[in-house]
Amino acid sequence: MITLITRISPGDLWSALTGPGNLDPLITSVESGGVTLAVLICVCTPLAWMMARDRLPFPRIWEAGVLCALLLPPLVIGLLLVFMVGPYTWIGSILDWLHQSATNTFLALVIAEVYESAPYYVLGAQAAFSGVDTRLEQQAGLLGDRPFTVFRRITLPLAAPGLAMSLAVAWARAIGAFGAVVIIAYHPFGIPMQIYTTLQETGLYTALPYALVLLVVALPLPLAAYVWSARAERRRRG
Amino acid sequence: MLNVDVEADRRDFTVRAALDVADGERVALFGPSGAGKTTVLEVIAGLVEPRSGRVELGGRTLTSTGSPRVAVPPWERRVGLLRQDPGLFPHLSVLANLTYARSARSGRARGQAAGDELTEIASSLGLEGLLAAMPARLSGGQRHRVALGRLLLAHCDALLFDEPFASLDAALRRSLTGLVKDLSTQRSVPSVLVTHQLSDAQAFADRLLVMDAGAILQAGAPDQVVLRPAGRRVAELVGYLGFVPVPGAAHAAGVHPDRVLPGADPARGLVVTGNVTAARPSGAGWEADLLVGDASFTCRLPARLDGSQATVTLLDPPYFGPDGALVAPDSPARVTRG
Repeated sequence: MITLITRISPGDLWSALTGPGNLDPLITSVESGGVTLAVLICVCTPLAWMMARDRLPFPRIWEAGVLCALLLPPLVIGLLLVFMVGPYTWIGSILDWLHQSATNTFLALVIAEVYESAPYYVLGAQAAFSGVDTRLEQQAGLLGDRPFTVFRRITLPLAAPGLAMSLAVAWARAIGAFGAVVIIAYHPFGIPMQIYTTLQETGLYTALPYALVLLVVALPLPLAAYVWSARAERRRRG
Repeated sequence: MLNVDVEADRRDFTVRAALDVADGERVALFGPSGAGKTTVLEVIAGLVEPRSGRVELGGRTLTSTGSPRVAVPPWERRVGLLRQDPGLFPHLSVLANLTYARSARSGRARGQAAGDELTEIASSLGLEGLLAAMPARLSGGQRHRVALGRLLLAHCDALLFDEPFASLDAALRRSLTGLVKDLSTQRSVPSVLVTHQLSDAQAFADRLLVMDAGAILQAGAPDQVVLRPAGRRVAELVGYLGFVPVPGAAHAAGVHPDRVLPGADPARGLVVTGNVTAARPSGAGWEADLLVGDASFTCRLPARLDGSQATVTLLDPPYFGPDGALVAPDSPARVTRG
């Protein structure tokens, strides 16, 4: 942080932010990051809950799958995504039929960000759900709540601090995603791609202001999650 | 009325339980840890599916493995379960915990009557000043009282207690057991307490069921079970610490440490003389180990036994035949020498 701040001159920062179209990558990153978070919440939250409660067939295989996505270098994930959703695959054909494409589009950017960030969210959310005592859920059921209501009234509030922290980490991963993005979503430019291309074209000092912008944009959500989690924990302790 | 007749598989044995509990009746399921007592409660609550059998409550079939197969889910059973861990919801205040079931079953808590009932139960449990507190701030006894209040406000058709106060000190356990007993009677619903503490079972129950390794060995009034155990295993479980052979007979007398008098009083029981192998203070009196022939037992007496030999009277002891079953004594005042 200190290095970043001390190496950036106010003039460079000003010109980086005020040049024509210079804020477009920032908007693209925030939009794709937002959509990515929505996908993670809707798809990966139930997945993490099922993994935590052993509700999936072959649970070890699912866990191994998530771990593989975490362990593989993002660049490799990008290469594999080409073989999965590229134009010559069956998913690519379906997307083509829908007049969509998962190569160099906003959709491709979201797919790359989802794949880079999902393992962080799923594993964190799984741990958060595992931390909720199932006897409390049983007790709520015996007091008359149906399973979904138990999830809403007991499981979700108790897992919420852990879910928020996992979502914050996933957000940071999504908005800073580069390895998979550079393979399947070179365009439209998000902030990481902007940093990379600026570095290639005009050098280190002109690229650094975008790094600061990335940091400023990415930081509030994790900070808010941290503060909220700490406050929820304090409230629970009375 | 709660009717249970089930078989449920556990890893090491099959639990077989048949019990009928009338409305307002209090039954204690007593036995050592791992006897399968909790499994019976979990089957009644719908948390464990039995291999076979039926559970009926107030004329409703909750579980039936016959045809048609019935498995009412836990949230529709109206069965309350209080465990050793009171299971308060840590993110909700005491008030929200207390009214949880009401908002689960009937939308939101409302009405003057509901408010009055809440006030009455909170007052009877000594929780009036704690309604805004979070569970983490409460002591162990307070947590159990909140859990009990939540159970009562849920208006269940049966109350199940799974060693609810085992982690509390003896005095608190006694007072809470008394409270549970009174409230169970007031509600006039079937109540089942699972415990490995005989004193808790005796303090709570109208009827005691002794369970071991998945089987109910004896059922009866608590006094009857303690004074006349159906077999040696039941005797061991209810606190008999030795078995003294009766000379000239094939049976042995059970020795309960609390039912021994110093000296010989043949009119009141079996007189035995034995060698004192150890003596130690115990509470306000003394505890001594006596060796009679090959058999040894422990007894509690008001004063220390003098000398290496002692004569004591076993008050109206139960007698057990070679097969371990209870037998009628043919001569209650025999003298046995060590």
